[in-house]
Amino acid sequence: MTAPIESDIDIWDDDILVDPYPTYAALREQAAVVHLPKNDLYVLTRYDAIRDALGDPETFSSSSIGFNPMVNEALRGTSLASDPPIHTQLRATLSQNLTPRALRGLKVVIDEKADKLVAELAASGSFEAIDSLARAFPIEIVADLIGFSGHVKDNMLRWGQAAMQVIGPLNQRTQESFPIAGELYGWCSSVTAADLLPGSIGRGIFDAETRGAIPQGSAGHIIHQYLGAGVDTTIASIGNIVALFGHHPEQFELVRENPELVPAAFAEVLRYWAPVHIWGRKATRDVEIDGVTIPAGAQVGILFGSGNRDPRHYENPDTFDIMRNPVDHLSFGYGPHGCAGQGLAKLEAHAIIEALARRVKTLTISDEVREPGNITRSFESLQVVKVVEA
Amino acid sequence: MRIELDRPRCEGHGLCEEAAPRLMHLDDDGELVIDVPDVDGPELDAAKAAVRVCPVAALRLEAA
Repeated sequence: MTAPIESDIDIWDDDILVDPYPTYAALREQAAVVHLPKNDLYVLTRYDAIRDALGDPETFSSSSIGFNPMVNEALRGTSLASDPPIHTQLRATLSQNLTPRALRGLKVVIDEKADKLVAELAASGSFEAIDSLARAFPIEIVADLIGFSGHVKDNMLRWGQAAMQVIGPLNQRTQESFPIAGELYGWCSSVTAADLLPGSIGRGIFDAETRGAIPQGSAGHIIHQYLGAGVDTTIASIGNIVALFGHHPEQFELVRENPELVPAAFAEVLRYWAPVHIWGRKATRDVEIDGVTIPAGAQVGILFGSGNRDPRHYENPDTFDIMRNPVDHLSFGYGPHGCAGQGLAKLEAHAIIEALARRVKTLTISDEVREPGNITRSFESLQVVKVVEA
Repeated sequence: MRIELDRPRCEGHGLCEEAAPRLMHLDDDGELVIDVPDVDGPELDAAKAAVRVCPVAALRLEAA
């Protein structure tokens, strides 16, 4: 056994959360696994170590995906926090309405909504991109998908943000967010089929529970995960699309000239700025990675964004270049727990990028504001000070 | 080498088809069909790319 390689940083320090990439680079140069005594945590920093861990649920258990015991207890029984073999059935129940084949029928509606929204914004001359686009669009799509409206729709943003914050350690952000995440949990525990619009996917999940096709009580869990996982992350990535096209007009021009590059552009947005900063696992045994041992029972933190910038895997990793088409980026995770909603995320993001490429000639951004978040890294506001219609 | 599919794990994301269209495809129901399970030579590289790109690790290559 080798002595652990340590760093005295706090990975949830406000400044690191707002701009983690210099810290990631330093950790990555130290080792593939770095012990952070301040956080009682072993972080994985390099691409191969992260991908191998995600592909090995026997060694890296999801029983501790969160960084405080209360959230791990609250998530017990969900596919997110389960290991095979139980995970396999829970995952199938969660993902059957989210697979690309299940979502095929939604593409036309999502494309139309994106085009209408982006066309209006492009015609307005200037706009604030987070509230009016990055938040408005996924909230509407997920609300339609699950089939609710009214007060629930009004709460989606704060519920979705809180559901992510509470996965962090017991810092102030987590403590302030627990009551709000509790509102979401409470609503999901009491929601019934009659609360959801007929024909929606949400209604279909309850019908499946009534038929006995999925276990009793699982419908509420599934709705919880759709709302908890599918809102804050998608908001982050749509905000990142606008910001990165603003920073790199020549890259936006490439997409405008060739719309076939839309999927590659989104993959590169996800690689360059990972929407999820850190995610947990628990080591089930002593495991050695590149000469460093993680002891059995230790809390592990996966730094997706660090793996995505690993020069051992990507050439010039700090360059935003859509032509690299990094289909193997780590931002959706990988393996049995790979993001179940990635098909929907891609439908939404591709629709927005296509609409921007069609409706916008140039955009100029300023006043980017990020607030530190425990898990999600996103913009709080972002001004498009000038947009020229195509 | 032989392409093995973990059928329950496959969710039909379709990235494998893009990486190796001559070896596999999604049918009209979105189910993955391995058209050429036994691969060598240049097809082996395409198969490796398909295995690599599967987001849920549902594909693997085994000695035939």
